[in-house]
Amino acid sequence: MFETFSAPFMQKALFVGITVSLLAGLISVFVVLRKMSFIGAGISHAAFGGVAIGFFTGLNPVVTAVFYSVAVALGIEFVSRKGKVSEDASIGIFFSSSMALGVVLISLSGNYTVDLFGYLFGNILAITEGEIMLSVLVAVLVIGIILLFLKEIFITTYNEEIARVSGIPVRAINTLFLVALAVSIVVSMKIIGIILISALLVIPGATAQLFAKNLYFMIATSCGVAVFSTIAGLFLSYEFDIAPGGGIVLTATAIFLIGLFFKRRK
Amino acid sequence: MKAIEINNLTVKLNGREALNKISLTLDEGKFLGIVGPNGGGKTTLLRTVLGLIKPASGSILIFGKRPEEVLKSGRVFGYLPQISKISPDFPVRVIDVVMMGRYGRMGMFKWPGEKDRTKALEYLSMMGIEDLRNMPFGELSGGQQQRASIARALAGEPGILILDEPNTGIDVIGQEDFYHLLKGLQRRFNITILMASHDIGAITAYVDEIACLNNTFHYQGSPVGALDETVLTDLYGKNVDLLMHTDVCEKCERLRRT
Repeated sequence: MFETFSAPFMQKALFVGITVSLLAGLISVFVVLRKMSFIGAGISHAAFGGVAIGFFTGLNPVVTAVFYSVAVALGIEFVSRKGKVSEDASIGIFFSSSMALGVVLISLSGNYTVDLFGYLFGNILAITEGEIMLSVLVAVLVIGIILLFLKEIFITTYNEEIARVSGIPVRAINTLFLVALAVSIVVSMKIIGIILISALLVIPGATAQLFAKNLYFMIATSCGVAVFSTIAGLFLSYEFDIAPGGGIVLTATAIFLIGLFFKRRK
Repeated sequence: MKAIEINNLTVKLNGREALNKISLTLDEGKFLGIVGPNGGGKTTLLRTVLGLIKPASGSILIFGKRPEEVLKSGRVFGYLPQISKISPDFPVRVIDVVMMGRYGRMGMFKWPGEKDRTKALEYLSMMGIEDLRNMPFGELSGGQQQRASIARALAGEPGILILDEPNTGIDVIGQEDFYHLLKGLQRRFNITILMASHDIGAITAYVDEIACLNNTFHYQGSPVGALDETVLTDLYGKNVDLLMHTDVCEKCERLRRT
């Protein structure tokens, strides 16, 4: 196993992988507690549209995906708050239309075979130095912001009215969390892939909730599950030449099932 | 000082007039009970006072300030919403719930300190559940959860305590103790209490004033007067019998003595 991780590109993958899984583990706690797993899946699939805009315009796809995903996240929130559409339907519409936009733009831009697979399923070989720096920086920044507002995010998750009476700007906190969710999806995209990133936003939190008695314990467990799955997934990816996203998510699922088994026996 | 001044308040919910031309003044340190049938607007009134609902017309002043201002400060109210079933596996211990009551005082970017912890424990022991402090909140019984939630509402040392049907989930024997406890808190901290309840008989012995609400106020004043038959008919409709249980009469006796 140590040999596997001695290759320089694997060390880079590991470095960025661990950073983004700490972020995913942290975000996952609130995705699960706020019952937002569908919006997580919706935004991550919509990120495909953002990547396609990058392909089409020649800009960096990660950058276009960040802006596009944040816009979709805020769009879903706005439409379900203002319009007469349920959040569920609003997510469904944004997510499928973004995928459609992606398909159209990619068909038009012509060169869709090479890079695209990497965005959809993760490809550690395709990450550039610049993207590693960007992902790590953004991930650390988002983790910092969430920890800074942890108390406010937590009480808002517990009960929005109690939070408002405590003077907390609930709508701003909810928007902040949505933006953090969208950004986390994009920075994890190249490691895990658009199709599978939503799994890493649900499974670690759901596993941690099986055993958590308080918030800090839940965050620690969730991050632990995410980091372990990423390390194991990258190892499997290298050894068996499979896309890393698959290995990561299957490892996380296995941990969840083991957790569920022990929980039921208790 | 006046804790709450409401003048000609009308509130609309989805186009329907939930509250119609309500006026009320409450002195600091008084205990007001709001009674009336379900759907009569009790919760709407409490939420409007809290600043969570914008009125269609009329004005509200809380210690001389507008509710939106008061809401932003996060320091005036302790609020106990109607029992909301929290998922049993929500990762929060009793002490964490009570600590949330301190958040408004702490403000943003600050973490609970020693003083916050001391206060939280103080209110937990006042509610008689200090030994449950490290229990997961979701594993408590309904009555215990209610006590922990009241400790949370008190932990911020509020000027006004707002309770929406606080006796839900507490058995009848527990209710007596509960009202006693509220009365004690009111006296000890000179706290103003606003409590909604559908149980007119039980609360009359404890509150200073009573307001009977069904869309508008049908009665405001001393608790004894509210037990009048015409008031109750106005409030609940024609087919109301005021049953004098031994329980209620005991309270009537207590009322007459005081």
